[in-house]
Formats: sequence, C-alpha cells, structure tokens
Amino acid sequence: MDMFRLKAYGRFKKGTSETLRLPIRYLKLLLLFTKIGLMRQMAYRPHFILMVGGKIIRIILLFFFFQAVFLKVDRLGEWGFEQVLLLFATFHLVDFLMSITFQRNLIGSLPRWVQTGELDSRLLLPINQLFLISFETIDLMDLFSFIPSLIFLGYIILNLNFSFSGFQIFLYILLIFNALVFLYAIHLMIASISFWTTQSYGIGRIMDNLFKIGRYPLDIFEGFWKVCFIYFVPLIVIAQLPVQALLDLISWKWIIFGFSMSGSFLLFSISLWKKGLKNYLSASS
Amino acid sequence: MTAIWTKNLSKKYWLYKKETGIKGTLKYLIRGEKVFVEAIRGLDLKVEMGETIGLIGPNGAGKTTTLKILSGILYPTSGEIKVLGFTPHKREKEFLKQITFLSGQRNHLFWDLPAEEYFNFCRVVYQLPEAIFKKNLKKLVQLAEIEEILHIPQRKLSVGQRKRCELVAALLHDPKVIFLDEPTNALDLTNARKIREFIKERAEEGKYTIILTSHNMTDIEQVCKRVVILHMGRLVYDGGLDELNRSNGFKRKIRVSFRDSWNKEWVERLGNVIFIQGQEVLLEVPPENATQIASTLISQFSIQDIRIENPSLEMIIESIYKKEDERVFK
Repeated sequence: MDMFRLKAYGRFKKGTSETLRLPIRYLKLLLLFTKIGLMRQMAYRPHFILMVGGKIIRIILLFFFFQAVFLKVDRLGEWGFEQVLLLFATFHLVDFLMSITFQRNLIGSLPRWVQTGELDSRLLLPINQLFLISFETIDLMDLFSFIPSLIFLGYIILNLNFSFSGFQIFLYILLIFNALVFLYAIHLMIASISFWTTQSYGIGRIMDNLFKIGRYPLDIFEGFWKVCFIYFVPLIVIAQLPVQALLDLISWKWIIFGFSMSGSFLLFSISLWKKGLKNYLSASS
Repeated sequence: MTAIWTKNLSKKYWLYKKETGIKGTLKYLIRGEKVFVEAIRGLDLKVEMGETIGLIGPNGAGKTTTLKILSGILYPTSGEIKVLGFTPHKREKEFLKQITFLSGQRNHLFWDLPAEEYFNFCRVVYQLPEAIFKKNLKKLVQLAEIEEILHIPQRKLSVGQRKRCELVAALLHDPKVIFLDEPTNALDLTNARKIREFIKERAEEGKYTIILTSHNMTDIEQVCKRVVILHMGRLVYDGGLDELNRSNGFKRKIRVSFRDSWNKEWVERLGNVIFIQGQEVLLEVPPENATQIASTLISQFSIQDIRIENPSLEMIIESIYKKEDERVFK
C-alpha cells in the first residue's frame, strides 16, 4: 500500500511539474522578449531620451485637459471629477499593458511581416506562433507614461471617500485582465485581415482612435452611439466595468456580459487567425 | 531512410493583376483582374537521408514555393507530403526543431543587436542544453570565421558577414534537414566561396539532408550530386549531374595544339572540325567517344597541348528550359 501511495505521489509530482513546465517556459520567453526589446530601444541613445520625455509630457497634458473640462462642469454624466480620473487612470493602465505587449506587434509588425515575407522565419521557430507574433517585441517605453498614471491613481484612491473590499479589488483586477483579452481579440482580428488585404494599417488606426473613447464615461453618449459603444463595439469593457466593480456600482449581469463579450471575440479572432495562416502566400524571393 | 517524400504535390492560388499608372491603379481598386497561378503541379519527389539536392529552374518555376511547402511555411493545395515523417504545415515543435530554412534574401537576426544576442535567443527557443549550445556555437563560429564580428550590431556588418552569421544561427540547433534558398545571392566571390565550402563540408558529413536552390551553377556543381529541375511548376528532370550531361546529348569539344605537322583529313574523320588556327584545332565529338579520340590523337601526332571541354551546366540547363518552353507553347 505504501509503495502504491509512493508511486501515485511520484506520478502526481511528475504530472504537476510537466503541467507547470509549459507556462514557466513561456514566462521565461516573455522575459527574454522584454530584455531584447529594451536592448533594442536603448541601442539608439538620443531617440531613447526623446521618447521618454515625450511620453511623460503627453500624460501630464492629458491630466490638465481633464482639469480644464472640470473647471466648466461638475460632472460628466453621472461621474464626478475623482471618478473620471479613476476611469482615466484605469484606461491608461489597460492601454499601457496593451501597448507594451501585443499592440505594436499585431497592428504594426504583423501586417509588415505578411507584406514582406518576414513572417516566414517566425513560423519556423518551435514555439507557439500566436504567442511569438503577439509578444515578440515587449516595449517598456510606455512605463514612463504609466508612472504618472499610477501616481494619479494613488492620489485618487487616497482622496476618494470610499473603502474598497478585497473582493472589489479582486474583481477590478479580473476585469482589467478581461479588458486586455477583449482588446487582444480585436487587435488579432484586425491583424489577421492583413493575410487577405496585405495591409491593415488604416483599420488599425481607426480602431486605435475608437478605443480612446473608452477613457470617458460612456454615459456622456446617448441613443445610437451609446448602444453601439456598449453592445456592438463594447468599449465599456475596457475601463468602465473595472472601475464600476471597484466602486461597487456593478451588477452580476454586467460582469457576465463583460466576460462573454471577451470570450466570444477571442474565439472568433483565433479562428480568423488560423484561416489567415492557411491563406498566407509569403512574398517572392 | 526517406527524409522527404511528396506525391502529386500542388500549389494553386489566385492573384490580382495590377496594370501600371493611375488608370491601372483605379481599375485595380474597382474591379481587379484575377489571375490563376499554378506554382507547383503534381510534384513527386523522394529524398533519402544524407542526400544533397540542387533544386533549379528559371524564375517563377516554383523552387522557393517548393522549399516553403516542404518546410511548413506554406500550405499545399493538394497532394501528400512528409518530411522526417511529419506533415510540415502542421508545424509541430518536434518537426521544427529538426529543420532549418535559410533564405539568401532576408535577414533574420536582430538588426540593432550583435549576432551573439540572436544566438542566445536561439538557445532558449530551441531549448538547447548549455553544453551543447556552447560546443555547436564554438565549432560553427570557427568554421564561418565570424569570431571578430560576434559583438558588432548587424546593421554595421557587410552583406557577406551577415550571411555567415545567419548560417551559424540556422545550424546552431543541429537540424537534420537544411533548406537553402539562394544562399550565395548578392555575395562577392570570396564570401560566396566561403558559404559554398561551409555547405559542402556539411554535405560531405553525410548526416544532413540538404536542398539548395541557386541560379549560380557553381554552387550546384560543387555541392550537389543530384539535381531536380522545375519548369513552370513541373518536374522535368530528377537525377545525377553526370547523367544530365549525357542524357541531353551535348557534344564534347577537344581543343588540341599540334607541335609538328598534322593531317587534316585524318583529324576530320575523328569528329566535326569547328575551328582551325595555325596549329590549333577545335574538334566536336560525341561525349562517349571523347576520351578515346583524345588518346588516338596523342598516339598518332606530336601534341603540345590537349583539352577536353565539357559543355557548361548553364548551357545544358538552358537547353532544357528551351525544350520545355517549346513543348508547352506548341
């Protein structure tokens, strides 16, 4: 009986370590991509310094924009100044995580690789191609605009007359992750279009501008546009749902809505990606 | 053991044709003209482990498309294909770890960083144990003569230097099957020779299966024993280089310089006299009799110099393309 338990334990340990090996390998690859991305950015010193300065200035200007708006009005829809700032900081957290990971890879790099045939070498590396194409370049430059956002987030949380429960914080983090899944799915769909059209830069730019609407409370819209941004291109998923969860202003109906939107978009985008790969013709030598 | 096997392999697709100028562009935008392309038609190919094949053909023959389907970059339209027992376009990890594809046209290494950063990246991606990685790297770096340029960013290197780095990166994981698409393209004579020798040494080891495409016949003649000729997607020849020469009936030329007097009528009986200049004669003879005729001339006359000239591989290949063009367009 003891031998049996020992063997069973050995098999369990082996099975667990094999199950853990794959995520650990991909985490190591992600760290490697981050290191390589940083080295490549720092290879050009003047450019690096100017980029950092530009990103900090951009975020400060946005803060002053919101301040200027609230000099004229007390509320945006049902949202007060601190709540709007919380929405703004959350949007930038999601935007930051998206831009350092998959955004540039999918919208900028993949269409170029399809057009020039540079995708070939990537298809032959023995790692998951979707992972490689989505995360090959990890760009930490936006860290410099994210830090001011974190400072605002800290300032807002300290100044809001509200206490957050552990569950609200957990739900907030979960819905931010959900927002990233949703945005990833949209970006993958746009990028996959390039297998047929060769270029998808134009659509990418349109979607990029559309997503920026997500940093405003969607209550400011009415009628058709409100329905559109909630149900058809559910920008509500990006920042509003996580913030509402943090402020305990969300119902389970909206949480389920958020997850099911991301899940369906993701399934569709992966299916489109697979079809695109079959259609890939490379570029002439 | 069979390394590569295809049966009735085909690749077909639609392309949009675009005419030149603004009118052509507008026409293309509104109602683009579709063109059907048959890049590969019914290709049957069998390559044993350790063989080195030259895959040749005119531009647009389907050489690169064939390599890309064999490596898994492209999906075939129809037919069967196995490489090392795997279906290439499924791109299984175990398959990808055993092959490599090197294109002479494209740079895969990190443009802004030195080659050694990419080599370390390969070590992680291919999960190479540290000891094996160091051993392979040391050997390949020495063979490719890139010790001095390992720490220099790729963008600062010449084309030839970058190509040698690419070759090292492609072979670090010791693949069993190597696909080379015009590896000496755009290289000067010295770098082309170095790359050729590097490939030849791998071929002579006998443990790699190599498929090489090139428009440079020196690459094919020096590295490959077997050639596969494609024309408009079809296989028109598959066999040895020597056999290629004989089967096309190209005559040999014997260039002889006589030291003393010689008999013109006697020499004319041996073959077709193309050219006479003083004591030098150029004679055309059937390939199977060339050696015998040369021996006869040496035994009958006092010879200063004698040479048997083979037709160049370029001439033979060109004649095959011409025959195929005539057959297709008849």
